[in-house]
Amino acid sequence: MEKCIACGLCAEKCPKKVDDEFNMGINKRRAAYIKYGQSVPLKYAIDPENCIHLIRGKCKACEKFCPTGAINFDDTAKIVKIDVGAVILAPGFQPFDPSPYDIYGYGRIDDVVTSLDYERLLSAGGPNMGHLIRPSDHQEPKNIAWIQCIGSRNNNRCDNTYCSSVCCMYAIKQALVTAEHLSGDDVSQTIFFMDIRSHGKDFERYYENAKTQGINFVRARPHTIDPGPDGVGASLRFTTETGETIQQFFDMVVLSIGLEASKHSIALAQTFGVELDTYKFAQTGSFLPVSSSRPGIFVTGAFQAPKAIPRAVAQASAAASTAAVMLTEGRGTLTTRKTWPEPLDISDAEPAVGVFVCSCGINIANIVDVTEVARHASTLPNVVYVENNLFTCSADTQELIAEKIRTHGLNRIVIAACTPRTHEPLFQETLKDARLNGYLVEMANIRNQNAWVHQREPERATEKAKYQVSMAVAKVVNSVPLAQEMLKVIPRALVVGGGVSGMTSAIAIADQGFETVLLEKSAALGGNALSIEKTFKGEPVRPMLESLMEKVTAHPGITVETNAKITSVSGSVGSFVSDIDVGGQIKKIEYGVAVMATGGREAVPTEYHYGSDERVMTHLEFDGNVMGIFRKDAKARKNEKILPGSVREDSSVGEISHRDVSMAGEGTAEVPGSIVFIQCVGSREPERPYCSRMCCVHSVKTAITIKESSPETSVYILNRDIRTYGVWEKHYQRARELGVIFIRYGVHDKPRVNPEQDYISVKTIDPILQMPLEIHADFLVLASGVVPNDNSEIIQLFKCSANEDGFLNEAHPKLRPVDMSVDGLFLAGMCNYPKPIDESIEQAMAAASRACVVLSKETMELDAIKSFVTERCDGCALCLDVCPYNAISLKTVEPPGQDTAKLSGGQGDELKEQGGLNGRAKKQIITDPALCKGCGICFATCPKEGIMVHGFTMNELKAQVAAALA
Amino acid sequence: MLIFNVGALARQIGVHRNTVTNWIKSGKLAARPATAKKYIISEQEFRKFCTREQVQGNILNRILSKADAEKEAPITRKTQKIPQREPSMKQKNLGSVMVVGGGIAGIQASLDLADSGYYVYLVEKSSGIGGAMAQLDKTFPTNDCAM
Repeated sequence: MEKCIACGLCAEKCPKKVDDEFNMGINKRRAAYIKYGQSVPLKYAIDPENCIHLIRGKCKACEKFCPTGAINFDDTAKIVKIDVGAVILAPGFQPFDPSPYDIYGYGRIDDVVTSLDYERLLSAGGPNMGHLIRPSDHQEPKNIAWIQCIGSRNNNRCDNTYCSSVCCMYAIKQALVTAEHLSGDDVSQTIFFMDIRSHGKDFERYYENAKTQGINFVRARPHTIDPGPDGVGASLRFTTETGETIQQFFDMVVLSIGLEASKHSIALAQTFGVELDTYKFAQTGSFLPVSSSRPGIFVTGAFQAPKAIPRAVAQASAAASTAAVMLTEGRGTLTTRKTWPEPLDISDAEPAVGVFVCSCGINIANIVDVTEVARHASTLPNVVYVENNLFTCSADTQELIAEKIRTHGLNRIVIAACTPRTHEPLFQETLKDARLNGYLVEMANIRNQNAWVHQREPERATEKAKYQVSMAVAKVVNSVPLAQEMLKVIPRALVVGGGVSGMTSAIAIADQGFETVLLEKSAALGGNALSIEKTFKGEPVRPMLESLMEKVTAHPGITVETNAKITSVSGSVGSFVSDIDVGGQIKKIEYGVAVMATGGREAVPTEYHYGSDERVMTHLEFDGNVMGIFRKDAKARKNEKILPGSVREDSSVGEISHRDVSMAGEGTAEVPGSIVFIQCVGSREPERPYCSRMCCVHSVKTAITIKESSPETSVYILNRDIRTYGVWEKHYQRARELGVIFIRYGVHDKPRVNPEQDYISVKTIDPILQMPLEIHADFLVLASGVVPNDNSEIIQLFKCSANEDGFLNEAHPKLRPVDMSVDGLFLAGMCNYPKPIDESIEQAMAAASRACVVLSKETMELDAIKSFVTERCDGCALCLDVCPYNAISLKTVEPPGQDTAKLSGGQGDELKEQGGLNGRAKKQIITDPALCKGCGICFATCPKEGIMVHGFTMNELKAQVAAALA
Repeated sequence: MLIFNVGALARQIGVHRNTVTNWIKSGKLAARPATAKKYIISEQEFRKFCTREQVQGNILNRILSKADAEKEAPITRKTQKIPQREPSMKQKNLGSVMVVGGGIAGIQASLDLADSGYYVYLVEKSSGIGGAMAQLDKTFPTNDCAM
């Protein structure tokens, strides 16, 4: 494996073709293969089940052609024993396979594909290079349908009863992206759905945007899928809500398949002895969301429950954090840090450039005449050594480069090969090993920017390659060694917010041995969890909350400050300094990282007579004031009186049909006979265009508690979509079994509420019956959404960002879900987006993990490609506004004489002539290397070279341009 | 009294367990069956047997001393395991974690741990990491390239 240079000759010469499983079998790969183009490790493998030599003992074509002798047919699976302190299981999911089910038509009809097939069809790295064509006749499809919930929310035929929670969003994404792949305006995308579950951050906006982009959303489940005429396309039959049966023809049908536990992960669970839940996902609790049933073994990702990428990533960090807490004593005992020899001082040496021209197997050499490029390089000034290699990146070439640096006294290196993005770090290390500063290498990309794009013009490509090498040589001659600054990390964390998220984060960080300061703006810890009875899984919240509060107050590594808020922030990652106001007293603290867990709260509704009638309540009010009666033992309440409640068709329609559920009885307390929930109150509306994620599950769970305690009570949930995502779908199912009545309403046709003397009248239209209904309710519960607490001060102090709804933003919505855009800041809980307790805890642990990555380093090495201020800066401050990282600030330099003397000749004279500095303070900018990312916008903005970027100075760039024009 | 099970005794003496069974059957080793597939023999008898079969003295002593220890503190399966494991964990393994699965979750867990000073073994069953996310074209809601 070490010898493989990923030239791809083995795959080219391999005669055996097999279905490419990475591309869902749409195209073929060879028996010698890499999984995909960007595969890590980028090493070809031989598939033993298909290799002709390994099956029949003949062939060996790959061995014959491999230029490095990397093929080893005797390499077989070995049992390796490793001792570890903890195990994290992340085996993922398997996509639901619809082929055994004839009703879906998959495998029977060519143009019915799964969503994962479709994903590969769309991908530029996929079987058709991103050109979307349907399988049957290789024509572009124009009219495409998606069918949701294939293998999810269905218990008919061995499907899965849970919601896979990602399919709605990926179907919308695929429908939107489809338009980019097809020519013409006649593209039509239709999504057949049961409920659209866009319950993540900014998902609802995405859905609303899709509607405006002309994507059709049809609430129906096609029951029959037939082949289209001549075997192309497919015909769908479905029944609309009004009861009409429609047959519609589509060019292509995509089955939005769900996620399920694979047989591999089930076997893995057995091997490790961890328990699985009813859906064969790993069993975990809400308060320890990544701990399996066996101590020391943690679970994450889709193995724990179906989930989208951000939550899988956050959970992975949470698992890392939990493992790290357990193994804190062992941190750093088994890892080593690479060290390099002291670099030579080359300040007095004449530039001596070595040029290495790569053939990249045939990748470059087939188009560009590499020997000619090498010859040209040897004619360039300061070049003392030139060589052409088959693969400049191979391990043996690194040794060769190091040797040539020593023998020829080279002090600058040019690599004419591929992209610095992937390979520059490798060559930098080679230089460091050879006692040169890593920034004395320059790469000329004669592959991606030349050989690959000029395949038809080899001569001109060779000319261009020569110019590219000239430019690189000209630049590197002007390069100077750059020092990487070291920053000392203050091993202390600040956690803002004393709710469940903040406390969990603080404990996880302190347990890893770092001092933590926990700020709470109110007088008491606990946050929203104080008013929550049970988690979605049914565990009581109070005992967990009490143990958390006890732990943070007793923990020797945690300082709790209540009635506290931050008043100032300076510094950057690794070393922040803040003033905090603790009950009027100002304290100064220094810290390396901060976790924001400022939380959110239940929004106060303005509609449905909330506030004017006390029978209209929010979730939390209802939980606190009314639910007590239902939590009592049903037997104890046997003789209690149940209030009358009734539903009838609206009298205005004429027919009256009372269904009186009043159960008269003798008793003391009164049990409500009819309760109505209205979902999405204030959510998914223009002023708050997001879904609050947990109100549906909360209402459904509350309804179940009511029904289980008092089956006679009528419960109605008026909703727009029921979004019991993931495994919470089971609660929706249970509620329907218990007789909770779900009635959908439209956003333009909201329920009308009129409080009367004895009841609250709720009028709505049943979309199935197409009839107006009136419900007489004893209580009306408004599922009001979640709004973030005010983060404006935090945003201003830390210069971080929030989305339009006021929720703090993550650095990347998929891959960095708990990092903030400002380095060293992390977030957790509801300040990021509404979420239930288990997800908040996951995120809090994840934030702790990410924070400890920074805290566990004593010092941080900063990249040397940073902006720096030159003496030409006159403090005009144009660069201040353009800097996207707030790395530049303006300072006043003490004036007089000696400072001017220091300025370089011309500039100083000029200033003297203008009398500019006489007696007056001079302004100048300073840059913070910890914040600067070296983007160069300041450099481009500055009219007088007052600020430049190391590695891209004016001298270097000018030399490069001059060489290009030579 | 020595209570033993055939396999364990065979390992200690260095013979196959069938040999021990044969000794018992033929009466060479005068042991009586006890509960749970174990046999019981008096210490005296056992010493005699060992001299006859030329079992080395130190092995004999080890077998007998272990029997004594067992008598004094009956060891349940649980307590047997923990004292053996803990010291070895502390010495060797505390600084390392195995992550099973090289998809996005496995990668992130590995990176976090490695970045904060733990040695990570990332185990992936296929020839490359990346998992299901590598198969995706774009990701919602930003339509970023998944790769």
